[in-house]
Formats: sequence, C-alpha cells, structure tokens
Amino acid sequence: MELFFNPFDNLLCILLGISFTVWFTLLLVFIIVPAIFGVSFGIRRLYMKTLLKIFEWATLRIERGAKEKNHHLYKPYSNAIIAREPTSLEEEIKEIRRSGSNKDLDSASEFEMSDIFYFARRGVESIMDDEVTKRFSAEELESWNLLTRSNNNFHYISLRLTVLWWLGLLIRYGILLPLRVTLAFTGVSLLVFLTSLIGLLQNGRMKNVLSEKVHLMCYRICVRALTAIITYHDSENKPKNGGICVANHTSPIDVIILASDGCYAMVGQIHGGLMGVIQRSMVKACPHIWFERSEVKDRHLVAKRLSNHVQDKSKLPILIFPEGTCINNTSVMMFKKGSFDIGATVYPVAIKYDPRFGDAFWNSSKFGMVSYLLRMMSSWAIVCSVWYLPPMSREEGEDAVQFANRVKSAIARKGGLVDLLWDGGLKRDKVKDTFKEEQQKLYSKMLVGTQEDRSRS
Amino acid sequence: EGDEMETPSLEEGGEIRRLGKRFRKLDLDGSGSLRVDDFMSLPELQQNPLVRRIIDIFDTDGNGEIDFIEFIRGVSQFSVRGNQQQKLNFAFRVYDVDKDGFISNGELFQVLKAMVGSNLQDAALQQAVDKTILGADRDGDGRISFHEFCTIVGELDFTKKMVVDV
Repeated sequence: MELFFNPFDNLLCILLGISFTVWFTLLLVFIIVPAIFGVSFGIRRLYMKTLLKIFEWATLRIERGAKEKNHHLYKPYSNAIIAREPTSLEEEIKEIRRSGSNKDLDSASEFEMSDIFYFARRGVESIMDDEVTKRFSAEELESWNLLTRSNNNFHYISLRLTVLWWLGLLIRYGILLPLRVTLAFTGVSLLVFLTSLIGLLQNGRMKNVLSEKVHLMCYRICVRALTAIITYHDSENKPKNGGICVANHTSPIDVIILASDGCYAMVGQIHGGLMGVIQRSMVKACPHIWFERSEVKDRHLVAKRLSNHVQDKSKLPILIFPEGTCINNTSVMMFKKGSFDIGATVYPVAIKYDPRFGDAFWNSSKFGMVSYLLRMMSSWAIVCSVWYLPPMSREEGEDAVQFANRVKSAIARKGGLVDLLWDGGLKRDKVKDTFKEEQQKLYSKMLVGTQEDRSRS
Repeated sequence: EGDEMETPSLEEGGEIRRLGKRFRKLDLDGSGSLRVDDFMSLPELQQNPLVRRIIDIFDTDGNGEIDFIEFIRGVSQFSVRGNQQQKLNFAFRVYDVDKDGFISNGELFQVLKAMVGSNLQDAALQQAVDKTILGADRDGDGRISFHEFCTIVGELDFTKKMVVDV
C-alpha cells in the first residue's frame, strides 16, 4: 500500500491535532465554564497586577532615559481642571475698574474702556484650553502602558524597552487577539443560537429564568473576550424590575459590562447586518425595546413604549445612556431629559474605566465600530469600576431637566468625573446663540445698573 | 518668518509644544492655518461677544487666516512674561477696527454694540461713547490715539487681568 503521507507530515498532523485539542480544552475549562457559572479563577487579576508592575518599570525607564539625554519630557495636561474661580462677569469687570487707583465706583461712568479686558482675556483663555472639546478626545496618560497610541515620548527609549515593546506587540496581536476573537465569536453565536431556541418555549416563568441564564452566560463570555476586569460596588442597589437604569456612556462596551452582572431590557434602534441579527434573536427570548429607524424621531412613541414597559412589573429594568453619545470618561455631559420624564424610579450607575490598561473611549468620528473593537481586543485589558447608586425618584416641584441634572451630579461625584452642563451633542453641532446673548445681557445689565445707581443718589 | 515684529516672550520648549498641540487640535481641516470656523468650534468662544475682534488682532497680515506664527505671537501677548506695553497694545487694537492707530467714534460704538447686543438702545450707547471720547480726547481731534488710551487705562493694575496660563 502506498504511504499517502510521509512520516513527517503525519507527525505534524498529530502535533497540530494535539495542540488544538489542548488549547480548546484550556479555553473551555478556564474561560467558558466559569462564564457559565459566573465564577472566576482570579487569573485576570493576577494578569492585571503583573502588567502594572511592568508599566511602572517602563515609565521609570523612559523618564530616566529622557533625563540622561537631557530632553524635555513632554508632560500632558493633568486631568485636574484649571480651577477658575466662578466669579461672575459683573464682579470681574468691577474689579478691573476698581484697580484704577483713585476712581470712586459711584462716580464711574457707565462704560469704561477697560471693560473689554474681561472679554479679551476670557477669549484667549478659551483659545488656549476649553472645558468642552477636551472631553471629546482620548485622555492623555501620565505613565506609559506599552501601547504607542497613548504616549508621545516614544522616541526616548532604550534597547530593553524596545525589546519589551516588540514582545508586547507579539503577545497582544499574536496570542491575545486570536484568543479573544474566538471567544467573541463563541459568545455571540451562542447568544443568537440559544435565545432563538428559548424563543420557541411558551411564555412563562421557565422561559424567563432560562433567558436570564443564557443572557448572563453569553455576556460573561464576551467580557472575557475583552479581558475586562470589572469591580462592582454596592451591588445591593442593583436595578429592579419596573425601573430605569441610567449610566454614563464611554463606549458600546458599557452595555456588555452592565449586562454581565444583571439582566436588562435594552433600548435602541434596529440595525441591519450582524447587529440586527443579534437584536432580533435577543428579543425572542425576552422583551427588549427595539425601534425602527422611522420611529426613533417620534418622541411620544418612544416615551409611550418606555412607560408601558416600566409599568409592567414583570419586565426587566430598562438600560439607557442619557448622554446620547460617547464621552471620553473624564466627565459627564448633559443628560437628555426623555427618560426622566416617564415617572419611573431611576437607578443611576457610574462607570469609570482605568485608562492605564487601554483606552475604552470610542471616538466615533475617528474610528468605525470594527476598528474600534479590534483596538479594544488588542489592548492589554479593560479595567473598570462600576458603582450602583441608590435609586432616585423625581421629587415634588422638580421638572425633568432638574431631575436629570440631579442624577447626573450623583453619577459624576461617585465616579470621580467632572460634572459639566455642556451638551454632548456639541461634539457635532454648534452652540446656540443664546449663550452669547446671555453674556451680552449680563454686561448690559451692568451698564444700566450703574446708571440707575447714579440717578438714585 | 523673522521680520521686524517683536519676538514672542515664550522661551520654554514646553510652552511652544503645548501651543503646537493646541493649534493642531483647533485646525480642524489640517490646512495649517486657523480660520474663523475653526475658532468657532469652541463653545466657550461662541459665547464670547468679542471673538471676532480677537481673531482679527491675531491676524497681523490680514489674510483672514491665522498661521502658527501669528497664533504664537497672539497668545504670547497674554503670557505672564509679556510686558505692559504689549497688553495695552492688544487692548487698543480691540477697539481700533480699521487699524489706523486711532479709535474713532464709530469704532468705539461698534465694539460696545457687540458687547451689549440688542439689550440697550442705540441712543444710550451713543451717549456713552460720546461721553467716553470727550473724557479721553486731549488733543481735540475727536478720536482716541494710543497715547490718550494709555493715559486713561494705563493706571490700572491690569497686567494681572490680561494674563492667561500658557
């Protein structure tokens, strides 16, 4: 009989087969099974600690190298907001006028030529650094995490550091990325397959229980697909049925992070493609709220569906991100008032990512969804903390906007983020003229005010 | 580059790099110079009634755009190391719209109008303008020269007021 394979090929096949089996078994034992039962071996935390030590070494090395070569290390702005004392327009202009030595304020004319100093200074200040646009681009890091995307001092390095960086690149793209892609694939396919199966059952307790288990399991696999290391705080405040869960938004991963710890009814627009397939099969197992593109514009319809959902106490809590867009996780921007108008109990949640391991912010004008996910999966890890805040309801005499702001402040405070009044939509649109008119009104009041003072005396 | 205008008082490389970074960030279309649109992308500037004047002052060659050199020179006038003369000059130029070295009645009115919008009647504004020019005009030519301007505001200890963290 002819030998089809020469012995070497045979050996190669056997080796491949064995390594594949071993790898798959490891995957199953260490990742998928714990995901099903919701337990953890603690491997990811160990990984995190090791990484931190390496990063510290790398940063020290850069700083030392820079000092030796006598280069200026470029330190990015620290995240602390330049604390401008909140003096009003009137106070500042009065102070400018007052600093002219012997002028008595009462005999000052209505208009002083020095008044423009205030606006000129504010203008140049804003040109130099403004509160708003820096929220829309990725945060700058003080220490280096071996990803060139986050550091500008990359050229000041030594041989050891270069080697380390190449090693890191190899590990991330050669080992971690394929592993994660496999996991993601597994997680998503299981989700679609199992929820479709469950959809065949009769509505009832069994179906709900199974649906919960399946959703949790698949989300946990996805969490491991991103190597997300999440710490949940205050779980006693977890959202309950009939409520609305609101959280700050940094990336689409937020959904996976929250949904792997509890069951929510998602809200969103039906997409085409893979996303649409996932959405359609999810809704077979439990009632999520998906809108057609045309329905999204109709605010009343949206509000009606949401309030119908929360009134049914057997349905899961709704998950909403009121900022409406992704912010870079250093602040919380204006909450859209729609979800606060429905009259349900609101369960605020604060999500804060640790930027040392990978920047989770999705800059949708810079990256598409797929390249974003690839970046996420080739980072070291995604480390974040989730705080469940105690439930809040709208109080007497409070309107939706005030309620929204109150919730926003609570979230910002808990997560250590800056609470901003600016609208997240400013990423794309222009500020309304009303802000400029505000300033003009304030200044005019000042001029008229001194006139009145004088006529009174 | 390297003409007779005063060199900026920024010395540290760190400051120039920060300015460079900021410039690139503001330059939305990557054209290498800033136009009014690029500035207007900053919400805090949109609410400032004098933003056009500031941009106009930065634009020393008058081509409607601000290149990096003009940007650095403009901002450096607000640096803590800038001198009193520079700051006074900047303030003067906010009023002197046509850059002829004098603040005319019309120019003063224009700037004041920008600051109050439609909240005060033109007659009241004109009154304030006339009064100011009357008080400041020493040589009786009906307009305010730089020298007269300095006499009016020069006593103010405003060097702190016209300073921005660069």
